[in-house]
Amino acid sequence: MFFDLVSKNSKRDRKENGLLFSTLVISIVAFYLILSLSHQDVMIFLKKMESDAVNKLMMMIPLFYGMTLFILFFLVYFASRYQIERRSHEFGVYLMMGMRRYRLFMLLLFEDVRNTFFALITGIPIGIALAEIISLVTVKMVGIGIVEHSFSISLEAIIFTIIGFVIIKFMAFAILSGKVIHRQIGELLNPRPAGSKKQHNRIVYILSFIFGMIMLGYAYVMAIRGLSWYNVRNMLLTYMAGFVGIICIFYGLRSLMNTIAKKNRRKQTLHTFTFRQLEEAVIQKSASLAISSILMLAGLCCFGSGIAIAKYYGTIDEHIIDYTFAAYQNDEADNIRETLENSDYARLFDTIFDIEIGYIRKSEDYDNAYLMPTVIDELNAISKTANNTKREDIDILLNNFSYTSYPYLISQSGYNELLKLKGEEELSLKDNEVCMYIGRGFNNENTREILNGIIAKRPEVSIDGEPFVLTGRLYADNIVVDRSITLSFALIVNDRVFEEMTLGETEIYTNATLSSSLKKEKSLIRTVMDANEELNGSGLVYESYLQNMGRTLFYRVAASYITIYLAIVFIIVANTIIGVQFLTNLRKTGRRYQTLIKIGASYEALCYSADKQINWYFGIPVIMAAINSIFGVRALFTGILSGRTAEDTLSLMIISLAMILVMCVIELIYIIVVRKAGESYILSLMTLEREE
Amino acid sequence: MKDNILQIDSLKKYYGKADSETKALDGISFQVIQGEFLGIMGSSGSGKSTLLNCIATVIKPTQGRILLKGKEISKMNGRELASYRGNVIGYLFQNFELLDNLTGRENIMLPLSMHNVSEKESEERLLKLASYLEIEQVLDKFPTQMSGGQKQRIAAARALILKPEIVLADEPTGALDSKNARQLMAKLEGLNRDERSTILMVTHDSNAASYCQRILFIQDGKIFHELRRDYPEETREQFYERILNVMARLGGGSNNVL
Repeated sequence: MFFDLVSKNSKRDRKENGLLFSTLVISIVAFYLILSLSHQDVMIFLKKMESDAVNKLMMMIPLFYGMTLFILFFLVYFASRYQIERRSHEFGVYLMMGMRRYRLFMLLLFEDVRNTFFALITGIPIGIALAEIISLVTVKMVGIGIVEHSFSISLEAIIFTIIGFVIIKFMAFAILSGKVIHRQIGELLNPRPAGSKKQHNRIVYILSFIFGMIMLGYAYVMAIRGLSWYNVRNMLLTYMAGFVGIICIFYGLRSLMNTIAKKNRRKQTLHTFTFRQLEEAVIQKSASLAISSILMLAGLCCFGSGIAIAKYYGTIDEHIIDYTFAAYQNDEADNIRETLENSDYARLFDTIFDIEIGYIRKSEDYDNAYLMPTVIDELNAISKTANNTKREDIDILLNNFSYTSYPYLISQSGYNELLKLKGEEELSLKDNEVCMYIGRGFNNENTREILNGIIAKRPEVSIDGEPFVLTGRLYADNIVVDRSITLSFALIVNDRVFEEMTLGETEIYTNATLSSSLKKEKSLIRTVMDANEELNGSGLVYESYLQNMGRTLFYRVAASYITIYLAIVFIIVANTIIGVQFLTNLRKTGRRYQTLIKIGASYEALCYSADKQINWYFGIPVIMAAINSIFGVRALFTGILSGRTAEDTLSLMIISLAMILVMCVIELIYIIVVRKAGESYILSLMTLEREE
Repeated sequence: MKDNILQIDSLKKYYGKADSETKALDGISFQVIQGEFLGIMGSSGSGKSTLLNCIATVIKPTQGRILLKGKEISKMNGRELASYRGNVIGYLFQNFELLDNLTGRENIMLPLSMHNVSEKESEERLLKLASYLEIEQVLDKFPTQMSGGQKQRIAAARALILKPEIVLADEPTGALDSKNARQLMAKLEGLNRDERSTILMVTHDSNAASYCQRILFIQDGKIFHELRRDYPEETREQFYERILNVMARLGGGSNNVL
């Protein structure tokens, strides 16, 4: 009989309280997704390319797992609490009929075990399926069509999903059942709204609101101006100010609700009731509403910045060369050339060429081997009249130029090969001419414009005391395939000067481009992978475009996967907390709705009021979070993308804003779902009354 | 019969089926005329609350008709019913049913916002009712800050704010002490006399019932007796004695009646 009751109750719970059940399933899916990350196709693929970085990420998984555990505990706790509240009358009846409290506890425990079991057998397959879909979609999105997809189930992930889920489920159960078991029967039978809390003077709320705004403003100024990134203390201060600010703003909102409630808008049905309900909800729940808002903010920031950062790393600039073979001695370079050109490998490549670089060995005065006073004077002059951003850029340039007294030289012939491949005009420098080279990442549109302007005037510079003129324009093409090897500053000189200045002590990079017919036949990546396989046998040290792409891809995937994952978890938790709290409150105040029905409120009027309450109840934290997230994302950029340029921040902000908008649409869907739940509850009040 | 406000025709309400059928109302018929203060008395389970709930459209009768100002309420749809509640009938509950998060004034004004009546129009009536019911002091207080009597008088003002055709009162003194109960009944009697408000009150408190002009006694779902007060010859005390007599007979059940 007892187990009959258990089975019937748990079945009914799943049917009637879809919210709780779906929350449980979502938790399980979330656990599985984070735990099965190492089984994702992209990760398997990257492991081959960038095993170090991937392993580092994998080492962080337990941390994310722990964090997920912590966040999802709240989710499960709130959803379960709603479930317990709605059944409180039933528990009261059990106790009235003489059920012992211990037995009631066992009843709840067995129901919980059953529900947990059903949630697991529903959630794990969904998790597996979703992981597969994500795996396939990411592969498509990052454009590596090469990876052979194989269906994978991670047993380890399943086991840890079950362990994690069971832990949070039973922790929540222990707290909640403890509360119910110790409640008086009367309280269980007639759950009452918590009643009005002590009201303070209006001025207290207004002051709290203003104080909150100041604190929040302070936090954002600190973060956006980059002050909080200086040290841990500043960062903690910023966090505290932001947190306290939001809590205080929500606390202060009470006065707003009170004002709206008192303001008579005669035409609006149940206006006063609606806002009194909201006032009560905000008074009792201001802290948890604030926390929900903070969670949403965290979610929006993760989402916005994650996508933008992924996009940033994803901007793989045009690539000209596919392979670089490094040699440190000239004869070694000849060997490489010979191996590549006169063997079976030759068919793999269209072009093979060397780029030679070297220091100004002729000079022994490292501090004055290269000087360009005219350029620096010009820059200083421009700086005086430039606007803020330009001035900042010039300051950076001037700072960088102070370290350029002993720069690398690049041979003209090698660089010309690059230009030829790009389809650009080749250089033919005279003996007294040099070109300035600043690697990508060390210049931006502003600096290019400024420097090209100066170079056009053919300013005089000196190499080892000899006069030269700067000519042409600023050059910035990557001279090797590896994007982590860059030259911040170099000079391109003709081969004769190069020879003379470097005294023959050079580094040679043999670059190659893959055969275009092969590339056409297969995809670029497939070709690179196949070529890699072949080259592995040659004993040559090389870096391919793919390895380099793997690196960028890794940042992209890692940043987007983790941040989007966290964003979704945050958003779900925040919304569930708000939704569940609203519905719990609706149930607790069900009697008020019944009274309204008795004194003549129509179903439509009640729904209108409930809908309005939901809109406000969700709307306040959502809007707060959305506004905050604009500053939040901006602040994150300041910290994460420090040193990046203003133009980048702006375009990234736009991407983030778009994402925030998308999340707001998701919010809207949530609101509609809760609305429906609220309406169906009101309908149940109406029909119950009519049937009795 | 022209000023009949409420007409009940052989009203039946059965619960359950076949063997286990309970006849809560078993063919009750009566009329209430404009300005009348009618009491309905009976022991627990006699069907008096079922009757009131049928009139209040809270439950649907199994058979029979309820005509309010000639209109049959069982034929109304949801929207009409909502407008009927509050607008045509005012309801006074045993446990007041005030919304505890609204002030007294807001509670009283609540029906206005449901029936889209401007508050300005009713401001005067609110003040008049508040002054008559002596609740001016508590208008801006929340129910938790009021006494039981004040709460019920706020509830009375709420029931009357829209000038309903009839006020249905379900044991209005049930949750009050005797002093507050007497005060409330005196107020209701006064409203009935001065404003010609029609009141239909269900009670098992003989003292409260003695304020009525006519009392119907219900037993086992049927009208079993009727008392009329000979106003003004008969004092309330004398009427009260008569009520007690009938109640004594009622208490013995139907076997030893009359």
